Amino acid sequence: MMSPSRSFALFACLVAATVVGCGPRRVSSPVADAAAAVTIREGLASTTAVAVGGGEAAATGTGWAGLKGRFVFAGDPGQPKALAVDKDTEVCGKSSKLFDRSLRVDASGKGLADVVVFVRKSSRVKNPVPDTPQVFDQKNCEFLTPVFAARVGQPIDVRNSDPVGHNTNIDGTSFNQLIPAGQGTTYKPDTEMGAPKTATCNIHPWMKSYVIFRKDGYVAVSATDGSFEISDLPAGEPLEFQVWHSRATGSGGGVVLERPDLKWNPKGRFVITLQADETKDLGTLEVPAGSIGT
Amino acid sequence: MKTTTVAIRSTVRSTFLMALVAAGVGCGKTPPASFRLNMVQATKTAAPESGMEKPWSSWANGRQEQVATILEAMYGTPDEPVALAETGLDLAKLQLAAGPVRSDIVGRKNGLYREHCAHCHGISGDGMGPTAAFLNPYPRDYRPGKYKFKSTWRDARPARDDLARVLHDGVPGSSMPSFALLPPAQLDALVEYVRYLSMRGETELALYTYAEQELGVDDTMPTTKEFLVDEILTPIVEKWQGAEEARIPIAAVPVTLDFTKPGDDPANQESVARGRALFHGDGGCVKCHGVTALGDGQANDYDDWNKVIVEWGKEITGGLGSSQDDAARSAWLHAASDVIEGDALRPRPIPPRNLRLGLYRGGRRPIDLYRRLYTGINGAPMPGVGPSGPGGKGSVADAEIWHIVNYIRSLPYEFDGELGADRPMVAKDRF
Repeated sequence: MMSPSRSFALFACLVAATVVGCGPRRVSSPVADAAAAVTIREGLASTTAVAVGGGEAAATGTGWAGLKGRFVFAGDPGQPKALAVDKDTEVCGKSSKLFDRSLRVDASGKGLADVVVFVRKSSRVKNPVPDTPQVFDQKNCEFLTPVFAARVGQPIDVRNSDPVGHNTNIDGTSFNQLIPAGQGTTYKPDTEMGAPKTATCNIHPWMKSYVIFRKDGYVAVSATDGSFEISDLPAGEPLEFQVWHSRATGSGGGVVLERPDLKWNPKGRFVITLQADETKDLGTLEVPAGSIGT
Repeated sequence: MKTTTVAIRSTVRSTFLMALVAAGVGCGKTPPASFRLNMVQATKTAAPESGMEKPWSSWANGRQEQVATILEAMYGTPDEPVALAETGLDLAKLQLAAGPVRSDIVGRKNGLYREHCAHCHGISGDGMGPTAAFLNPYPRDYRPGKYKFKSTWRDARPARDDLARVLHDGVPGSSMPSFALLPPAQLDALVEYVRYLSMRGETELALYTYAEQELGVDDTMPTTKEFLVDEILTPIVEKWQGAEEARIPIAAVPVTLDFTKPGDDPANQESVARGRALFHGDGGCVKCHGVTALGDGQANDYDDWNKVIVEWGKEITGGLGSSQDDAARSAWLHAASDVIEGDALRPRPIPPRNLRLGLYRGGRRPIDLYRRLYTGINGAPMPGVGPSGPGGKGSVADAEIWHIVNYIRSLPYEFDGELGADRPMVAKDRF
């Protein structure tokens, strides 16, 4: 028989266990400052008109300019992993084996492909939204464009060149449509994206690419040799460029470079004012190994 | 001497016991209910900038407190809701739904949300009430503003009557019961409260996105009306208010089709055959629902709510696995791992529906199935066969969708032998 003190200890332990509880603990959620909340609310409820645009007058220049450069990757990209293809294997990955494309580095020149460069805000746009559709195709159960950039309002010809059905699901938009084998549909993006979002096929879960829609169309994706160029940019005004890569470790996917001359910031942005009629060449932009994550 | 020791010992013992009991039961008043922040998004969007000098946790905590304060300013607390005029929310309805369960001076029931909804959907509408972890599927998290069963375009918000229908009919095949016994005024108040929780959740998400994209380490969140109302709130409210006009068009039912008769009625055979061809062909339904329609096609996908956790979980595990010499980043990864462990439900894949059960979560009327097919199911992998927006082109013509509806409605009654010799199973054995 258990001694009274032993049984008491056991009982106390049980009670203690009940009090402490089991299972994963919810992290504490910060609480609001009630007094400050009341002050903010009063400010929100006030109907007094506040002077709009009291800040400095935005600099607007004239003329147009271009920007170009070439991204190279300073680290070792390693070998791309083969993708696990387990659906429609009689079609998918049949003509060529499918590999992970999240880090594409040109073997000869170390060029880093699929880096997105876009203007965050511009005051003027030279060209109207084009009516010609841009093709976003899928074949061999792979999106043919790893990173796809388009202008808001520009028609996109979403195609399926495979003999099997695909659905194209663009995150953050209303587009998740089934595209039957060998057919296509047209989609006109209506909202601007602050950063690229994924396009996936739910039928073939390994299929993934990135998509970005911008209103002004000032967006470029680096080619296989790492080069990019944006033309017809408004000259004479400070333009803030965002540089993005799907595996970048900077906040929000920003690519961080060591370029103090461009005041490259930790969000992967730099500001530059272009002169009319020039095509500014940023030269070789070296992406350190640490800027790209696993 | 000995008796004294025993007496002292028993006194100590009982005092200790009482202290324990008191600690367990707690003393004084229960603290008022409070909204929780969306800790997953709050942490996910607060990845530190490289070489950040401040300790990550105190920095993140400061920013999260600002968000909590702004949200309280705009939306109040679970006991005392606030509705800014710009939201168009009806404060009287919100007050009926909010707060603890009680009767007001005229004997009218108050605190409806906490009485009927909060135990599953949570005080904050995060879908993480006390019972949530035990339910499959998990209760809806209102905070992203995404709803599945509605009459509007895929990414549009649900109209009021869409939410009301889900409350009235429940969601068959899930734990969501029907609230048909509640008086219409109470359902109305609950619909308004769900919209309120969604707007609040979306506001919170917009604040995190803003902070991630626009604020530096030393910046604080602006609290001006121009920012909070014009920039953050207005786009959210416009989506909710535009929902009533964002309905998808409904094609006329082809004359060859008679929904008053069962799907397997001879009158409908032609339509069923047409639907079957589309199901296996251009509709692409077989890809996920399987050739048997038992839901055994592509089945290892996640819905949007679970996918966030799955993807972020991978990122955290990958980050923790690789060596980190950056103190701030390492602190963030550890905090993130705690959040995903303790503040999110364990992700579950979403299986495609078994169409031979005759159980449809969004409703079993032909028009319900038509809507699911037309836009797909928002938040779920299910794609639409209709156009993605007004003026677009779908993979199946609008009127043809009715034939797929008819075929789907005939599936639960289809002769088992048609499933083929290699798949001799019937629906009831599958589930």
